[in-house]
Amino acid sequence: MPTLVNPLDERSREAQPAAPRLDTLEGKTLALLDISKPKGKEFLDRLQLLLEERYGVAKIVRETKPTYTKPAPGALLEKLAFVDGVIEALAD
Amino acid sequence: MLATGDSAPDFSLRGLDGTEWRLEQAVADGPLLLAFMETDCPTCRLTLPYLKRLAEALGTDSHRVVLVSQDGAEETRELVHTYGVTFPVLLDADLDVSRSYDPPAVPALFLLSDGGRIEFCEVGFHKEDLNSVAASMLSSLDLPATTVAELDDGAPLMKPGCSSRHLEPPMAAGPGEAEVDEETREPAPEPIDLLPERAPRATRLTLAEDEDPYEYCMKAGFSPFLPVVPPTAQRVDAFLAAIPHPADRVVGLVPPCYGAATIEKIAANAVMAGCKPEYLEVLIPVVRAACDERFNLHGVQATTNSATPLIMLSGPAAQRLGFASGAGVFGNVSRANSSVGRALQLMMTNLGGALPGEIDMAALGNPGRFSYCIAENHEHSPWQPLHEDLGFGPDDSTVTLFAAGGLMEVSEHTARTGAGVLRTIAATLAMVWSWRSCRRVEAVLVLCPEHAATLSSDGFSKSDVRDFLFENTGVPLRAFEHEGTEGSQALGHYEEVLIDGEPHYRKFQDPSQIHIIVAGGTAGKFSGVLPGWLAGAGGSQSVTYPIKW
Repeated sequence: MPTLVNPLDERSREAQPAAPRLDTLEGKTLALLDISKPKGKEFLDRLQLLLEERYGVAKIVRETKPTYTKPAPGALLEKLAFVDGVIEALAD
Repeated sequence: MLATGDSAPDFSLRGLDGTEWRLEQAVADGPLLLAFMETDCPTCRLTLPYLKRLAEALGTDSHRVVLVSQDGAEETRELVHTYGVTFPVLLDADLDVSRSYDPPAVPALFLLSDGGRIEFCEVGFHKEDLNSVAASMLSSLDLPATTVAELDDGAPLMKPGCSSRHLEPPMAAGPGEAEVDEETREPAPEPIDLLPERAPRATRLTLAEDEDPYEYCMKAGFSPFLPVVPPTAQRVDAFLAAIPHPADRVVGLVPPCYGAATIEKIAANAVMAGCKPEYLEVLIPVVRAACDERFNLHGVQATTNSATPLIMLSGPAAQRLGFASGAGVFGNVSRANSSVGRALQLMMTNLGGALPGEIDMAALGNPGRFSYCIAENHEHSPWQPLHEDLGFGPDDSTVTLFAAGGLMEVSEHTARTGAGVLRTIAATLAMVWSWRSCRRVEAVLVLCPEHAATLSSDGFSKSDVRDFLFENTGVPLRAFEHEGTEGSQALGHYEEVLIDGEPHYRKFQDPSQIHIIVAGGTAGKFSGVLPGWLAGAGGSQSVTYPIKW
């Protein structure tokens, strides 16, 4: 009966439920997070226009990740903690 | 914040042990280091083991290192327990002393001379400053000098900290949120340890009598894609006996899921990959390099690009341990190359969590994902070896990691001059990443011994080679006549130069983006270009660590 040494990361990971969905966009504050890929600004400009004109979004906050190759820094995430929803958009 | 030369204001605070502590008394007869910290600041937690090392070096004077906690007794006690802090710990939960010293961020160190003058102050984590503070304290107490912060221990050289607690805005409570329901309140997140010293031992799994250990390893996800040597307790224990480190010592946290690469986990994965115990002298610094935040293994593992770490050895240790550097160096030529490269790849999945299609999102992947490890061919290189280029001594040995795509081979059997060889190589270098993409690109050039000999006999030093390639690698302007192709978005940033009389955009931003190593067999004029992932601090930076236990 061989005994093996577990070579894996043994921390248990539990699946996290998604945050509650918004029932409407009207009157909400949304953040548009640009991950710094080329043309991200153009894409989000258009999205912002549509969100404001068609869906009555009250306020849009625009933020940008320093680089798309790394996770967003904590300070940036803290800035996003107070909005109703975040749309993270890559481009190219 | 108070500055060097200021007189440190006197204060008294209660210690975690309940006793009253007064600065004036503590600083009366020798130097003192005040370290302001928050218990949940990752940079403070990163700093603590180094302060512990300093306190140990101070011996009976260890009370001259003093931690000033900006949090309450309960959180501070957890911190002290986790890190085994034995020097004095004071509680400044009211932040009165923090306000008076006024550091913008923590950790904040104030080195006071006897009498209470501020000799040095700094915020954030800086290895060189920790070493100079230690040198100053030890020398003024006539104690032997010691390095408290090894520059190559895997922790970053510097890291900014968090805002000092006294400058944080008060928590704003929105309408209706003033009363927090204790039952529904979310628990505070676990503090992040950027580089813990120890982690739990691996569990041991006893298989059923009729279980095939090879199939079990595949089924259990130890290596779902290629059979491995089962990591039996007997084999792993033999490795542990040969390694001069405790089994639970953490070498690094492997991105992107940050599983702890303890000595024991490294040994178990090394056994699976087919390593010999002595290869861990190389594999341990390889893990350190892979977990170095400059290398950004998080991005390398998660990108849709095919880059994966290429290990390049340089120095006498490579030959001593049997690493191949000659004919067929990228292929199946040596147990050392194959198994060390494989062990890193196993850990990237088993400890880093990068399963293909889940976190590893590479569109094509890369044969180097099985194993990617070469050594420099010193015997047939006309130049100084890579590790000496990087500032190490001739007797040192190093591992360098580079996030590389697949090998682009360059045949040049006709050119009789160094410039002729390099013009052919430049054409392949121009294709790195994508033909029209310039500036944020990087490559390793693997020069075969025959090409290196031609270059050397033509008077090219290694830096001449790099400079020639920098000057002569470009993308012709006519390549941009068609709209909407990759690289054209950044055209405004490109530098226009003449190459062979034709207008080009320069491919590289700086000659240092071309890394050169001599490797391969002595017959065959085939060199190789390995494209990098995104260059620079916003992508992956090549990192080098010395080979040592």
